[in-house]
Amino acid sequence: MKLYKVWTLFDAACKSKFAIGLCCLLLASTFVVGCGSDDETDEHDDHDHGEVFDASTMLNNFANTVVLATYTDLDNKAGELLSAVKALAADTSQGNLEKAQQAWKATRTPWEQSESFLFGPVDTQGLDPALDSWPVDHVNLQSVLDSGDDLTVDFVSGLEDTQKGFHTIEFLLFRDGNQRKASDITDRELEYLVSTTENLKTSTSQLRLAWAPEGENFSSAVAQAGTGSVIYPSQSSAVQEMVNGMIVIADEVANGKISDPYNESDTTLVESQFSFNSISDFQDNIRGIQNVYMGKFMTDGQGLNEFVNSHDPDLDARFQQEVQAAIDAIGAIPDPFRDSITANRGAVQAAIDAVSKVQQTLEQDILTLVQSSEFN
Amino acid sequence: MKYFHSLLSLTCLVSILLSACDSESPVTVESTPVFATSEFSGGETTVFDASSHAFSIPAPNLSPAAFEKHLEGDVEFEAVFVTAPAVVNPGLGPIYNNVSCINCHSRDGRGRPPDSDEGLVSLLFRLSLPKTEDSIDGKPPIPVPGFGTQLNNRAIVDADPEGKVKIDYTEQTLTTADGTRVHLRYPNYTVTETYQPLPEDVEVSPRVAPAVFGLGLLEAIPEDVILAYADEADADGDGISGKPNYVWDVVAQRYTLGRFGWKANQPTLLQQVAAAYNDDMGITTSLFRTENSAGQSQLTEHSAMPEVSDEILDVVTFYVQTLAVPARRNIDDPQVKQGEQLFAEAQCASCHIPTLRTGVLAGVPSVSNQTIHPYTDLLLHDMGPELADNRPDFHANGREWRTPPLWGIGLVKRVNGHTNFLHDGRARDLMEAILWHGGEAEASRQAVEQMSKAERDALIVFLESL
Repeated sequence: MKLYKVWTLFDAACKSKFAIGLCCLLLASTFVVGCGSDDETDEHDDHDHGEVFDASTMLNNFANTVVLATYTDLDNKAGELLSAVKALAADTSQGNLEKAQQAWKATRTPWEQSESFLFGPVDTQGLDPALDSWPVDHVNLQSVLDSGDDLTVDFVSGLEDTQKGFHTIEFLLFRDGNQRKASDITDRELEYLVSTTENLKTSTSQLRLAWAPEGENFSSAVAQAGTGSVIYPSQSSAVQEMVNGMIVIADEVANGKISDPYNESDTTLVESQFSFNSISDFQDNIRGIQNVYMGKFMTDGQGLNEFVNSHDPDLDARFQQEVQAAIDAIGAIPDPFRDSITANRGAVQAAIDAVSKVQQTLEQDILTLVQSSEFN
Repeated sequence: MKYFHSLLSLTCLVSILLSACDSESPVTVESTPVFATSEFSGGETTVFDASSHAFSIPAPNLSPAAFEKHLEGDVEFEAVFVTAPAVVNPGLGPIYNNVSCINCHSRDGRGRPPDSDEGLVSLLFRLSLPKTEDSIDGKPPIPVPGFGTQLNNRAIVDADPEGKVKIDYTEQTLTTADGTRVHLRYPNYTVTETYQPLPEDVEVSPRVAPAVFGLGLLEAIPEDVILAYADEADADGDGISGKPNYVWDVVAQRYTLGRFGWKANQPTLLQQVAAAYNDDMGITTSLFRTENSAGQSQLTEHSAMPEVSDEILDVVTFYVQTLAVPARRNIDDPQVKQGEQLFAEAQCASCHIPTLRTGVLAGVPSVSNQTIHPYTDLLLHDMGPELADNRPDFHANGREWRTPPLWGIGLVKRVNGHTNFLHDGRARDLMEAILWHGGEAEASRQAVEQMSKAERDALIVFLESL
């Protein structure tokens, strides 16, 4: 993970052990109460100041209204994609191809938004690589297509992640980003497309169930942080998880997804390059940050914004504005992104700067606030 | 807390929070060998993060240039390799165990054995032929013709995996002195579906992917510090020996002290990383120019050029050298303190050494001259017949394993979503892991068995604070 650029900034100021020690002594002598935010045993009775924030409503809302709702939408959209792909296989018309392409993009939206909380089952159950491996293993894919193997769901599911998931489906549906002709798609490709989309749907269902009350209910591990959760013994650790999730994706978009192809002027490094969907991908990543921060997906609930606002209304207002500015700056890059990395470098740089600003505020202000706050 | 913004500069404020918050005690780095008494497990490389990212954070004391290098290594650590030829990341296989570093070392953390419905992901199997004479001859394991020294259970589409492994567990119950019953699962590994027959007498050793943070600190511990804990003949008669492994260093072209891997069979992180590219992913480097499939019918073509450059090897090595160690939590909790006392009394700390001092690691000042709390001696110990893999590796015999570090062990559940421990993940929680200890740790295990439930709980709470 490319985390915490800010760490080094602190280092510059507090380089020596002495300086850190001095700060700590200062802290210990003047501000004993504020520490212990990582109090894993949830013993807070000895803290006597009044600013304890009960994060249970916010965490419950995050787990259910944001995360589970996003994964539910992802699973629903994956079901629609599967139907569209099956319709394409049954009748390989240009119209059905375009519908399948639209369904792919629609499925991509909740997935990209979910990248602002890439922790828990999506990681521990290997679902992130299963859904979103990059690059596509073209040699393997072609070998399978050229083989006599029966392209059943079981067979395709047993293949590497690099020949399954979003980007393999994208490659089969869009190829090189130019207008794909339905008549160019082979029968083997259609068979493969249906099986790999079935496999994608299985993964999205597994992910939804991993968080759902009727499944493994990881939602409760987050919602019950500090009150019996086996994963998060304190609310502060779960709130830190929320903020870290946003930092990771802001960093990834600013310093990876946009910067890598831009710095190298290399279109092969562009995400979602077959579909020309890069700009939507990046915007949805930042919308994911917006969702977590505001506590909303399709419905609105208590988000981190209320917590930040209660401590520092100016920070809350500034951050909300910065997030929207980042979404707008990415949207201002002319499509397709892979041409703009050379043709519209000013617009791309402006987007990098806007997302970096979001990352900076998350690291320097919001994470700091969370780490220094007392939770219930 | 917001009032502090006006009292201190932002940078200073945050460094307080990073360095000292989450506890009421200020820095107390110096300590006895038995008690750590500090949450700064990684010295100045310690980070205060109790989220699932706890193992993935760069050391906070990196210079800006070193930080950039770390990030470059991070990208390569996550790079997914594919079948050549390809525009991005070619060179995978043709046979391999996984397609990227991160896929085994998920979140820079710890792997696990597969669930019943999964394939192998972060557990691999070493293979070798038995030695006819002295089994502990200080030499590397003897490769199995057609398989080498590792079972590659995956392959590109145009090749065959070397084989698969079937894992069966048998439950046995152990009863502690106070009548508590603990179930241990005994694994049985069967290599199946091999692409050609395996010799009957093949030695098979399971190895789960270890966490990769804090490794630069372990590399920076001076050799004489480690050797000072060695007591191969048990001269002090405490039943605990501690034996250094000496392994082949391909860069130095001589035998040097082994530090990394479950049997301390790698001398440096550079070689560990290069060996992992080669053995686990089928990717050649300047250190290991020969494909892992060399000599097999699987290998159809071979490039003379390393598939991963020295530059990439260097940044990935630097990445694992400079991942921060997460801070301890709750160190002033009375139950944690009681557990720490019990840990020492049961002689756990005789091998899981709480406090060590690093020396200078060339090119990595952030890990140099640090007081750290890794809970390891990096030495080999006989762990008894039940944990034995019966596969000698240089000077390590078939019952010996290197003491693994315990730092961060209480965060594995949060980072990796499981609590599988030991070299093959057979232990399903920390108490099971303790109760598997035998051999030199026999007396320690018995001491734990004699503890009351409250004492065992305190011991676990202590471990979870690491």
